[in-house]
This record gives sequence, structure tokens and C-alpha cells, in this order.
Amino acid sequence: MQKASSSKTSPKVSSISHRFSYALIGVITLLLIVFAAIVILFDINKIENELEMRLDNAIEFAQNSLATPLWNLDYVVVADFVEALFLDESFVYTKISWKGQVITEKKRAGFQVQKIASEMSPTLLKDSELIAKSSDIYFEEKKISKILIVMSREIVKKQLHSQIYGTISLLILIIAAIWLTSIFITKRYISSPLLKLQESASSIARGDLDTFVDKSSRDEIGKLAQQLDIMRGSIKQLFAELRESKEKLEEYSRTLEQRVELRTLELARSVEELKVLGEVSQAVSSTLNPETVLTSIVRHAVELSKTDAGTIYEYDEGEGVFLPRINYGIRPEYIEALHELKIRVGDQTIMGQAAMNRAPDQIPDIEKAPGYYFDFVRQAGYQALLALPLLRQDRLIGGLVVRRKAAGEFPASVVKLLQTFAAQSVIAIYNAWLFREIEEKGRELEVANKHKSEFLANMSHELRTPLNAILGYTELILDNIYGDVPVKIQKVLKRLEKSGRHLLSLINNVLDLSKIEAGQLPLSLNDYSMQEVVHTVVNSVESLAEEKNLDLKFSVSPDLTVGKGDEQRIAQVFLNLVGNAIKFTEEGEVKVEVTSSNNKFFVAVSDTGLGLSAADQQRIFEEFQQTDSSSTRKKGGTGLGLSISKKIVEMHGGRIWVGSTLGKGSTFRFTLPVRVEKQRKQG
Amino acid sequence: MSELILIIEDQEDNRRILRDLLTNAGYKVIEAVTAEAGVMSAETHHPDLILMDIQLPDFDGYEATRRIKANPALRSTPIIAVTSYALSGDEAKAYEAGCDAYVSKPFRPRELLVKVREYV
Repeated sequence: MQKASSSKTSPKVSSISHRFSYALIGVITLLLIVFAAIVILFDINKIENELEMRLDNAIEFAQNSLATPLWNLDYVVVADFVEALFLDESFVYTKISWKGQVITEKKRAGFQVQKIASEMSPTLLKDSELIAKSSDIYFEEKKISKILIVMSREIVKKQLHSQIYGTISLLILIIAAIWLTSIFITKRYISSPLLKLQESASSIARGDLDTFVDKSSRDEIGKLAQQLDIMRGSIKQLFAELRESKEKLEEYSRTLEQRVELRTLELARSVEELKVLGEVSQAVSSTLNPETVLTSIVRHAVELSKTDAGTIYEYDEGEGVFLPRINYGIRPEYIEALHELKIRVGDQTIMGQAAMNRAPDQIPDIEKAPGYYFDFVRQAGYQALLALPLLRQDRLIGGLVVRRKAAGEFPASVVKLLQTFAAQSVIAIYNAWLFREIEEKGRELEVANKHKSEFLANMSHELRTPLNAILGYTELILDNIYGDVPVKIQKVLKRLEKSGRHLLSLINNVLDLSKIEAGQLPLSLNDYSMQEVVHTVVNSVESLAEEKNLDLKFSVSPDLTVGKGDEQRIAQVFLNLVGNAIKFTEEGEVKVEVTSSNNKFFVAVSDTGLGLSAADQQRIFEEFQQTDSSSTRKKGGTGLGLSISKKIVEMHGGRIWVGSTLGKGSTFRFTLPVRVEKQRKQG
Repeated sequence: MSELILIIEDQEDNRRILRDLLTNAGYKVIEAVTAEAGVMSAETHHPDLILMDIQLPDFDGYEATRRIKANPALRSTPIIAVTSYALSGDEAKAYEAGCDAYVSKPFRPRELLVKVREYV
């Protein structure tokens, strides 16, 4: 393909100069031929006329010069005349005669006289070869002779021919000269400049726009060259513009690429920053330890701002100084120096300045910062510093400083980023303050709570002491220690004793509850037998059930294993539940059932009593809640028993609940892990 | 011959109740109001039984028990701790100090008497 196309060259250019010269020569040749023809015709005519004139002259001369000799019959002269005439080669025949008598005749060899009529009138005869004229010669107006002169055209013709040859030769010469000249001229002034022009043009076409275009000639070619040059100039300019715009485009595309790259980088950085900020803010919100949060913040701040070190200061309002709280990337001596510096608002430090202005402040190069005299900063190699005040609602709480070993301005993006970190630091520090406050409050609350518990314990003790005395004396009196007591008084004393015991149980329950709440009721976890616990409980309440004519039933699985727990407290729960059941049941039965499965004891205390409404079932385990206050008064309950029972069960890791149908009875159930190895904390 | 019981108790009412109860039951009773006096009284009178209150004005009943039990002559004298601290662990503390029995306040006089009769 390549070969085929390359071989298909453009048709051979026929030189303008050749074509031009051919045309020129054609025209000139034609003109010259016409001119030559005219000249030749003119020559022929002239020669003819000349020949005739010579003939006429010869005749006339003969008439003039021969009249006398002929008259005198001096024929020698006549012969001389003829001889003289024949010197001219064109004269071929002369005859002088008179009345048919030849006086003199002379003919040149080869001439045939027959061609001429013998008796010729004095007329002219012309043919292609000859011209002849005859005339009479007069002497004193007497005709004395007749003369005939014939001239051959031969010589004239020869002369003419040679003249024509000369003309034609000249013509050819001229044509040749013109042809050569024209070739030279076209070559010199047209072809060659055109060729040059063509070369320039093709050179331009090839892309060499600095090609020299010779426009020295002042003719059209010069103008053409000028145009070409202008065109070249235009193309060059166009190319230059094109190149420029291309460069611009490339530059733009490069810038665009760079910008895209930069933007991508920025985006990546933003994503990174967001990620870090997310982590930080998560740390801020989830970590209670401010040290951890602030350490994370200052580390990320330094890393993301591409600096070398950072410090988070906490502002001590009392002392009015910034204390370096968390440091990253700096040596202990530097931290020591920062401590000793006692940075204050408005002092010469960058932190002091930023705090005074309540805005970020920076020193791009400490060597160029006037009045910056902190040598330890210089010694540590830090060149650029950026400080941000930590403000919470206009209150100065600290500061964030990053340090860089390379000098240079911190860009706005870094300042902005660090502002975000500063904001997070504010939250962290503020949280820390809050935590501290809460901790303090918590401690205070704990102390107050302890005081309350102690107060309750002391109070119940103080209350019980006189109550003990009352109950003691009552019992002694009833036992007749102080003498026999009348039956009437005995009844009153029994009522007194009952009320006293109620008061005592109330006080004991309050004491228990307050101790549980204060976390001061440790379980004493020991091995116990569930059977024994149930027996003890049943024994102590049997009399109560009998008094009310209630059926007290108990069923304990025989295969119960040895439990571990606080026996006394478990018994207390049983007593409370069974006691309540007896208390609130007027007729029917109270049943205690204990089974075990899954390493748990399942206890159910059911009665056929009043039962509980759904609402009561919900709140019955809360403190001071009974079905209604009137029943409390009637039945003498404290309203604390179930609450204490619930807490004891839960301290053992068990659960207590109730199921009941109003008017049909209730079933209280609780579970206990068989082996309680550890006391559960009570909220 | 009636046994001598030493009551170490700072509360007058409690002392009185115990005295009335035990005297009525046929025991001889001596009393001390402070721990110090109680220890001295024990050393002086060599009682057959000591009822020891735990919360006392000068030092507590555990300490008094330790001092009494430290005396070889009194080592075998039974001491019943009477405490108003109805707390788990008090019993253990009482035994640890050397008490022979433990009665928690509020005690019922009849029950206390049963306990006393176990020893004398």
C-alpha cells in the first residue's frame, strides 16, 4: 500500500518557462514569417521594378547615345555600346535593326532567340524567365533604327533567392535568439523565482515556517512571494497561537489535573481528618478518662497538621497560668520549661497572645519574630508555632499549641482543622471538669448516704434501747416477777407487749433496709439445709396458723442438696412470706413448697386469702406498699417486709414475683441459686 | 448456794430487767456499768457467769471479754455476749473474742433465762 501510494507521484510538472517560450516563439515565428513574406514580396516587386527600370534606362540610353552614331552609321560605337551593355549579366540579347536589317545583334550563350518575336512592337514583354522591351531610335525626329533588349530574370532570381535565404536564415537566427533569451528570461525571472517560491511553499507545507521567502523581485512573483510570506507569517502566527493555545490548554489541563489531584488529596485528607475527628469525638463522648481523650486529640492534631510537637494546656483560673496538661512529641525538659515559664494571658508567648486575642495566633518563623526571646524553643529546634485558645462560651479554659521544626506560615486549612481539635479539646476538658465534679458530688453523696445509713442505724439503736426496756419490764410483769398481776391488767399488758413488738419489727425492718441500701448488709454465705430452714420457719409460725384455724402445709423435695447462702436472711424471707400469708388469710390454707432444678431452689408460698389486684402485684415489692393503708393498720404489717425479702433474694442472685387472683388467694414465688458463691450488688 | 452472775451493762433499764429476772430466778447478781469496772469486778469476785453488753462507754465488750479470758483464773468463766447489733458477723466476732454464747437484743427475758440456765 505504502509503495503504491508513494509511487503514485504527481504528474510531471511541465516547466512554465518552456510553455511560455513555446508560445512566445510560436507567435514571434508567425510574425517573422509574415514579415519575411512581406519583405520578400516587396523585394520581388522591387527587383522587378528595378529590372524594368534598368531595361528602360538601357533603352533610353540607347536612344540618346546611339541616334547619332546610327545616323552616321558608325557601327563600331553601336557595337561598343552593346558590349558595354553586356557587362551586365542580366542582358542576354540585344538587337538593333532597321527595316528588317540587323545592324547589330548580340546574344549571350544559351539564350534562344526563338523565344522573342522577330518583329516586336515597341511593347513590353514579360514572362517568368525574360523581360524584353523594344523601342525605336530617332534622329532628328526621323526614325532610324529599332532596338530590342532582352533581360534574363535568372540573375535577379538568383539574387532574390539569396536574399530570401538570407532573410530566412536571419529569421531562424532571430527566432533561436529569442527562444534562448526567452528561456533565459523565464528561467531567470519567472521559473527560478517560482521554483524557489515553490520550494519555500513546500517547505512551509512541510512545516518549516521560518523558511526564507525571497521577495526581492518587484514583479508579480515578488508580490506572490510577498503574499506567500504574509501567508507564511499568518500561518506562523496561527501556529504560534495554536501552539500557545495548545500550551495553554495543556497547562490548563495540567493545572486541572493538578487541581483534581490536589482536590483528591484534599478530599482524602478531609476524609482522614473526618475519620480522625470522628474517632476523637467518639473518644470524647465515650471515654470518661480525659487524659486518654486529650492525648488522642493532641497526637492527631500534630499528625494531621504535619507538625512535630503539641501541647494541650489547661488554664488555671485561680493562678492565672496555663499548665501543660498533655504533651506530644516533646522532651521532658521542654515540658519542665513550659511549667517554669508560667504562661499567662497576654504575655510574650504565642499562647499568651492567642489567649489575649481570643483567636488563633502563629509565629511562622521565630527567627524573624521580633521580641521572641524564648531560647528553649529555639534550642529544641522549633521554628514555627501555632496557638489556639480553648474557649467555652467565652470562658478561657485552656490552649492548644503545635510546634513545627520547619519555618513557614500555617495555612488556613490547618488553622481551621486545629480549631476543630480545639473545640473537641474544650469538650474533653469540660467533660473532665464535669466528671470531676460528678465524682466529687458522688463522693459527697456517698458520704451523705453513709451518714444517713449511720444515722438510721444509730437512730434505730437508740429507739430500740428504750423499747427493749419496755418489752423487758412488760414480760417480767407478766411473769409475775413483781408480784401477781390481776387478769384484767394482764390483758392490757399483752396488748402493750404486742404493740411494742410491732414497733420493734418496724424499727428492725427500717434498719435492715437502710443497711441494704447503704450496702452495709453483707451476706454471710455458708452451707445450709433447705429442709431445716423450712422446719424452723414452720415451727415458729405454727402457733399463729393454729390461732386462725388455718391449715399450714409444707412440702419439701427429699432430694434437695446442701445449699450455700445466708441462712438467717433466707429464713427471714420465708418468715416474711409465710407470716404475710397467715396474716392476710382468714380461712383455708397456707402452703409452702420447695423444689429444685437447674441448680436453683424454687419456693412457692400460696394462700387462700384476699388476693391482689394486678396493680398491687406490680408495686407490692416496693417500700411501704401494701394493698391499702387500712389493711396495714388492721393486720399490723410494716410494708417493708416484701421489699426487704426482694432485696435479700436478689442479693443471692434469685428472683421473686407474685401471682394472684383477687378474692381467691396469692402465690409468692422466689428462686435461689443452690450455691451462692458471691453476693450480688444491690442498686 | 446460789451462783453469782456478773452483769456488765451501761443501760440502767437493761441492768434492772436482768437483775430482776435473775434474782427472781434465784441467782446472786453483781453489776458493773463500765467495761473497766466489769473486768475489775470479774477479777475480784470470780463470778460463775458474765453477761457482757457489747456497746459500753469506755471500751467495747469484745475487748473486755479478751481481757477477762486472758486471766488464767477466769478462763473457764462462761461469758454470754448481749448485743444490740443484730448484724451478721457479730456472732462470729463475739466467739472470736472468747464469748461462750450470744444473745442479741432485744432479748426476751424468758429466752435469756433459758440460755443462762445452760451454763449455771
